[in-house]
Amino acid sequence: MLPLLAAALASAALAAPPALSAAAQPLDPSARGFLRRHCAACHSGAAAQAGVRLDAAEVDWREPEAAAHWERVFNALSRGAMPPADAPRQPAEAERRRMTAWLDARLREHAPAGGAVPRRLNRREYENTIRDLFDLPEFRVPDSFPADDSAHGFDNVAEGLILSPPLLAQLLESATRAADEVLPPGRGPAAAESKHYEIGAAGLAAGEGSKPAAGRFRLASSRNMANAAVWPKRFEAPASGVYRLSIEAAAFQTDKMFYPPRSEPLRLAVYAKPKAEQVYDPLGKLRKLAVLDVPPDAAAPRALTVDIELFKGEAFGLHWQNGPAFSDPPAREYSITFLAERLRADRLYYAAMLAYVGGPRGATQKQIYDDTAALMKSGKLDLSDPRLDKMPERWGGGLANAPHNWIKAFVQEEMHRFGPALDLTAAAVEGPLRLIDDDETRARKARKQRFLGARPDGASDREYAETVLRRFLSRAFRRPASDEQVAAYADLAAQAESLEAGLHPAVRRALVSPHFLYRGLRPGRLDDFDLASRLSYFLTSSPPDARLAAAARAGELADPDVLERETLRLLAAPKSRNFVSSFTGQWLGTRLLEDIMPDPRLLKFIDHDRRAMIDETEMFFAEIIRENHPVETFLDPGFSYRSARLNKIYGGDLEGNHMRRITFARGGRHGGILGLAAVAMATANGVDTHPVERGVWLLENVFGEPPPPPPPNVPAIAPDTSGAASMREQLRRHRSDPSCASCHKRIDPLGMVMENFDPVGRWRGRYPRYTQPPDGAEALKEEFYSSIGRGVAPGPPVDAVGVMPDGARLEDVTDLKRYLLDRPDVFARCLTEKLLVYACGRPLTYGDRRAAARIVAEMETRGRGFRGLIAAVVRSSAFRIR
Amino acid sequence: MAAVDRPDRRKFLRGAGIGLALPMLEAFAPRRARADRPADDRPRRLVCAGTYLGFHQPDFFPAQTGRDYDLPPVLQPLLPLRGRTTVFSGLDHRGRNGHQGWKAWMTGSAAGGVSLDQVVAAKIGAETRFESLQVTCGKPPADARISFTEEGIALPMIGRPSVLYGALFGAAGDKERLDSLLAGNRSVLDGVRGEARALERRVGAADREKLGEYFASLRGVEKKLARQRAWLDKPTPRVEYPLPEFDPVAPDLALECESIMYDLMALALTTDSTRVLTFMIPGWSQVFTIGGRRLSAGYHGLSHHGNDPAKIAEYNLVGREHVKRFAAFLERLQANRDAAGRPLLDTTVVVFGSGMGNANTHDNSNLPTLTAGAGFRRGAHWKIERGGPAPRLLGDLYLTVMQQFGIEIERFAGAESNLNEYLA
Repeated sequence: MLPLLAAALASAALAAPPALSAAAQPLDPSARGFLRRHCAACHSGAAAQAGVRLDAAEVDWREPEAAAHWERVFNALSRGAMPPADAPRQPAEAERRRMTAWLDARLREHAPAGGAVPRRLNRREYENTIRDLFDLPEFRVPDSFPADDSAHGFDNVAEGLILSPPLLAQLLESATRAADEVLPPGRGPAAAESKHYEIGAAGLAAGEGSKPAAGRFRLASSRNMANAAVWPKRFEAPASGVYRLSIEAAAFQTDKMFYPPRSEPLRLAVYAKPKAEQVYDPLGKLRKLAVLDVPPDAAAPRALTVDIELFKGEAFGLHWQNGPAFSDPPAREYSITFLAERLRADRLYYAAMLAYVGGPRGATQKQIYDDTAALMKSGKLDLSDPRLDKMPERWGGGLANAPHNWIKAFVQEEMHRFGPALDLTAAAVEGPLRLIDDDETRARKARKQRFLGARPDGASDREYAETVLRRFLSRAFRRPASDEQVAAYADLAAQAESLEAGLHPAVRRALVSPHFLYRGLRPGRLDDFDLASRLSYFLTSSPPDARLAAAARAGELADPDVLERETLRLLAAPKSRNFVSSFTGQWLGTRLLEDIMPDPRLLKFIDHDRRAMIDETEMFFAEIIRENHPVETFLDPGFSYRSARLNKIYGGDLEGNHMRRITFARGGRHGGILGLAAVAMATANGVDTHPVERGVWLLENVFGEPPPPPPPNVPAIAPDTSGAASMREQLRRHRSDPSCASCHKRIDPLGMVMENFDPVGRWRGRYPRYTQPPDGAEALKEEFYSSIGRGVAPGPPVDAVGVMPDGARLEDVTDLKRYLLDRPDVFARCLTEKLLVYACGRPLTYGDRRAAARIVAEMETRGRGFRGLIAAVVRSSAFRIR
Repeated sequence: MAAVDRPDRRKFLRGAGIGLALPMLEAFAPRRARADRPADDRPRRLVCAGTYLGFHQPDFFPAQTGRDYDLPPVLQPLLPLRGRTTVFSGLDHRGRNGHQGWKAWMTGSAAGGVSLDQVVAAKIGAETRFESLQVTCGKPPADARISFTEEGIALPMIGRPSVLYGALFGAAGDKERLDSLLAGNRSVLDGVRGEARALERRVGAADREKLGEYFASLRGVEKKLARQRAWLDKPTPRVEYPLPEFDPVAPDLALECESIMYDLMALALTTDSTRVLTFMIPGWSQVFTIGGRRLSAGYHGLSHHGNDPAKIAEYNLVGREHVKRFAAFLERLQANRDAAGRPLLDTTVVVFGSGMGNANTHDNSNLPTLTAGAGFRRGAHWKIERGGPAPRLLGDLYLTVMQQFGIEIERFAGAESNLNEYLA
């Protein structure tokens, strides 16, 4: 029985013997003899083990699965996995060597490096390409754009990038949008009649921190647009133009205010609000149009008038800029500082807040104020409570019951009642007094000028069009446009009445042309232009920049040193961020995090945590490139990047919530890809961990020896979260089936070693035992990192020991690190192969893997730095072939 | 390994089938027989309308079952239509709780599944200008989505009355531009087909297969453009409707917007511009003013009422405003006639409800569900028992609705049975 090989070949589907064909070559007699002597006993006829037949007299190398089939035979023989140890007869060493040498020669001949089909730009590459081509840094495809399928681990592999009718329809629509940006449809500014719009205090829409009152609208805080500003309900500029805004405003201050009376003017800022709809617009993103001063002693309304520029469809927003609460908040940190100061300044209020917080869920602002005020008056509060000497530890993350929300509500209500506040009593708009170009129109005009360029002296429309198109098509197709291409596109452009009207469909055509949508349309060795594209999409997910394109035109890329120089240049450029996030997102699985919601019984998890995990992974990876650290740094670094919150997952303390570099001793539990929270989370499901999933992940992404998929009809092993049966016991039973054992003896020890990491990467000594169903459990109100919440009891202890197939005993993940560091080429080769798949967009052939092996072998002379490894990948023969 | 990783070539042909038309099972036969009505007797339109923040269940579900029930307070505006509506209680998707439950309202799953309306649109949408339309008021929160394509992509909703009106009863300026784009696109596609043919001549078999996707996609897009073209040449219907000069999209004006959107939806059905409509009823966190009174808290705050009677009363006020507008919409469908002179409502299936069950805890069980028009036996409250070996799901109701439209489907989002026993 040859289970490992059998299972490996199950998908190579040799159930039926290959039909004899003209292309079939007879097997070498000595090879045939070897197979007959050592393999045929199990792998013959219709009853061949797992359907794997090694009794044919010929091999047809054109069969798509033939190379994969014989490469596995080669691997099994050269690693000594076959024939199995309990076989009645083992081949002599020389005999085995002869056989593998013969196979190696055949595989080199029939499975050389290369062999991809044309690669369609994936969604991200397409976006970046349009951005670069049209100078549209904000361009995004709509949400309706279908997602790309990934193949062989990455979403930029040619065979996974299918084109479908709905996708092409979307691409055509998107082409129209892009063409509009450089050749805007000729619609002059609509003549708009100037009108008077009476808005009045009652015509203003309310955010949550502002309130209409009798005949006036009271602004009592300075939070963001949606929460504390006002805007007109029924006014959006009918055309881009100058409008006269007239406001009447008063300062509302009473002697019951908590705050000292204002001596400075109350500043009312006027913003351009994109729409009349409620949108959580951060003020920093809006155009500030004017600031109006309301004198602090203006108890009666003052008339204020200002001319403002509004673009078509915009409303105006009014915001009290220098209120005591949350003035000009740059970030949430600011309002937390303000709220902390309020608590410090008012011990009685702090005591009342402490006594009341956590009270009725969803209480209104008024109710919070009244209840708290009653507590303050009750005389029952303990002002010597030691908690009053420090600020609340937790400020919550948006929960309705978080302390800062209660304080905000209290302060706002207090200011509504007693001041200071800013009252608006009238508002009106008149306009447009004159029409203007909005920003978009201005930008489009500038883009159009750049796109068309100057008309050459005396050029006819046809000649001009050809000049524009030659330049544009050469960039769009990422190689010099041929005369036929330019002529064909110019013909299309000539069908319209005007030059611009004709260029519009020509641009659309280019953007759905196969020359634009696909790269690598030429098989075989890449020419300079395909090489430049491969390099730049590899390292920047974007088309070649001007310098790389120039090097390709000059024929310089044939020189490996130039290629390496360009590689290092692109890696140092900001756009290499695209490589970092895309490659780690897929290799290390951080893209999966978005779809995983950790069980609320385990911890309170917010989007910030997810982002921080991804940032840590990307910053870690980026430093290894930047500093050219040895590739072993991925396994055992002495540093990482963390924020205070994130560091709690690792059980450490840190100040502040921004990501910064931290250092620690090597060889520990955390640190490196084996200990990243992101990886632990991506390889679990948010609720429990599964050793098989993680074991398979490690084999695939760290060892580079992916196990074959499980045979069909095998029930999955589900963790028993009641804690009754241990995972180890279940797996042991599973392995007692010999057909499972061959793979699971490789998978299980690796998976078990990772069991100390819970579904978010926290270290654990015991499994959790869930005692409540997920929906019935009360959600955690506090942020838990180092412990588990209600609904979970401590379960059985974690036993993470794993015994590798070679007998090595790993007590926990630190042993696994050492195991890998002792065999540095295993990981280096895996990483090299991943880079090759990502860069070349194809599954690797035998020839490709030989190239990877050579790159790793040369690391001894080149050095083990990761940046150097990337350069070696680019210099390799495999990179230069499609 | 290769066999698993190889992408499914059928993917780019998908769009035809969801769910499998299974061989008819003996047990289903009698019930199916009633669902399988002759084509000309089938309902012709589907409208689904739901609120984001649910309804207060005790004031939505009648206390009694059957025909003889007392109309609960929130449903009072439906009094004149009592004989044409059906209330269902006890139905939900057994899905997750919280706001995500909204995405599950018509899909049965939090994301990644096709919604009821899109299944029906694939069957009956081809003959009208719009296969289906998705409508809301203003700008809903990011997680408020109602319709999902078969690929699980959320369809955008129209939130401005002027935009919906423009799409249905169109302005000439846009038409000219569209006309020129469509004409240009014909040349564009001819041109790139030529480029692909030239490529095809010089490449090997594997590349030719890859280019096959390109040619197949071109054909698909051409068909779509031809359809658009055909509709462009047909004039949009002319209607008399006093569209307000300004779109009431500010949050405070949502109820005003809701009335206008219902009016336009009724017009869309009357003019046969579409036969499938979904409406995400507005109301998120804004503070409503009802009957001249500004409510004490935002709608979302009221929905977390904490069993405070004062808040429940205000929450119900908003709920009742929604039902009032919905009732006016049904009256309009009752008054307007189709080509055969029948009231539109008689041949329209209307599903009204919410993906939110108990709003206070944002729990998604026992979803408020009401149907009107064609299909179910009317004038009653049916309480569906939750227990039993095969739990009845809201998906069962959807299965019956789909089967009513002649769709051969036996499974949808975990539901495997149906509610055909409640058919008229």
